[in-house]
Amino acid sequence: MAAKEILTRRPVAATIKLTVPAGGARPAPPVGPALGQYRLNLMAFCKDFNARTQKYKPETPMAVSITAFKDNTFEFTVKSPSVTWYLKKAAGIESGSGRPGHVTASTLSLKHVYEIAKVKQNDHYLQNMSLEAITKSIIGTANSMGIQIVRNLD
Amino acid sequence: MTAWHFFKHLNCTPALQLIRSSAFSLSRYSSSLFFVSIHTTAPDQWPPRAQIKNAHANSSTPSSSSLAVQSMASPVPVPANYVSVLLRCNKDISDMLAEALLSFGASSVTMNEDDVCPGTDEICVSSIFLEGEDINTSISYAADSIGLKEIPRYEVKILEEDDWMKGAQESFHPVEVTEGLWVVPKWTTPPDSQATNVILNPGLAFGTGDHPTTKLCLLLLHDCIKGGEYILDYGTGTGILAIAALKFGASFAVGVDIDSQAIASASQNATLNNIGPDKLQLHLIASQTSSSSRDEWPFSVVEGKNASEIETVTHKEKYDLVIANILLTPLLNLAHQIIFSAKPGAIIGLSGILSEQVENVLQNYSPFLEGIEVSKMDDWACVSGRKRKNIGIC
Repeated sequence: MAAKEILTRRPVAATIKLTVPAGGARPAPPVGPALGQYRLNLMAFCKDFNARTQKYKPETPMAVSITAFKDNTFEFTVKSPSVTWYLKKAAGIESGSGRPGHVTASTLSLKHVYEIAKVKQNDHYLQNMSLEAITKSIIGTANSMGIQIVRNLD
Repeated sequence: MTAWHFFKHLNCTPALQLIRSSAFSLSRYSSSLFFVSIHTTAPDQWPPRAQIKNAHANSSTPSSSSLAVQSMASPVPVPANYVSVLLRCNKDISDMLAEALLSFGASSVTMNEDDVCPGTDEICVSSIFLEGEDINTSISYAADSIGLKEIPRYEVKILEEDDWMKGAQESFHPVEVTEGLWVVPKWTTPPDSQATNVILNPGLAFGTGDHPTTKLCLLLLHDCIKGGEYILDYGTGTGILAIAALKFGASFAVGVDIDSQAIASASQNATLNNIGPDKLQLHLIASQTSSSSRDEWPFSVVEGKNASEIETVTHKEKYDLVIANILLTPLLNLAHQIIFSAKPGAIIGLSGILSEQVENVLQNYSPFLEGIEVSKMDDWACVSGRKRKNIGIC
């Protein structure tokens, strides 16, 4: 039941994908129906998921991918929301600019980007990237959305 | 607004059952029925901020305005139907389709290994949609967004909430936590009738003796309880720790939780183990971070009939042993309450934390605890210690 890669070659019954708020897994939809149909231990998943997402701001929508094995055990991985989600949230906008490069949707400071980079660094698949590299990547994404990044916001 | 009294009755009476079930069908959709009175004191004030509904189990004189709102057997009502949609699509794009469906309203997407159709490149993807979602629109947007030329054919099945709830409970079997201590589902006979058996019907609450954190806490209780102690079980879930403590010889236990499901389950389990209100009291307390986005039962607190009955459960220095198996963030936020409620020299046990989170807990609690020990099982840990005798409490 640990959030690690699949190390053993147990027969897989199914792969379940869903979104759960950080620290907020409950034995109710969406978790209940998705896991219950494979006879997985709901409460164990909730406890495990909630404990592992304590470091994220509560209610952050986490992308969860659960591998259910035929013996009713499971493993899961958790991903934080996409960079675009964080940028939109920080900028307080619903969607990026329709014409990035020409029309600015919003402006964010370097500090925002840095904060986002720190959260994303927790993601398993980014653990080998330096904070600087992640930051550059986020700035790139922001530009493609029409969000301008400035040194300081006054 | 009407003030409702929250009573947890250990023994179901037919009259109450009727009231209970009708109250239930209303409660999901008209949360305004509950008298919301959340008294919060400033964070650094004593006593702790949680206002408690005094819910003495088995009240001897149910007043006419009282209602037992917890149902013993049935859980909190959720949308009664949800829909399972079965799609067929090409194996290569199944991942993308899954992500797209999630973005366009699906509550979850499942790819079943056994549904790979031999001879073709197609795979079955099943997706769950909650009531109220326009499935056709969602699927067509999803298909469109990944460049499919046509909407995949799909079939729709309506499922009952019972389907998954029953499945979830099937994973509970008897567990021997340590020699002479078993946790047994109520529908099974105890494998060892001579042992200390905690009988449980967990419902939708946490604590079946299976999880490493529950085991760590049970072992701590088993080692530390000598007899006659007052126990506080913070985050009681099914009540397993409080009940086990009483079975080990403690004289009185209080279990608190922010989840009404937990209190319902715990009070039923108390009955299953023949534990009356003189030995175990359960309280539903307000969550410190009650989020308004929650779909469920709001964490509303009900004012009791007598103001004098409203006492904070975590009395100052009343408990010989405080055990809290919750999560890192609440453990840190509740540190003051937890320490406050323990007598000097009392044992405090904290779990629900991963090994990597132990450092954080130690940092916050070591000013107040001495003789700290950390026990581990798999990835989980339990931190325990005794409250220092000379803490300056402000």
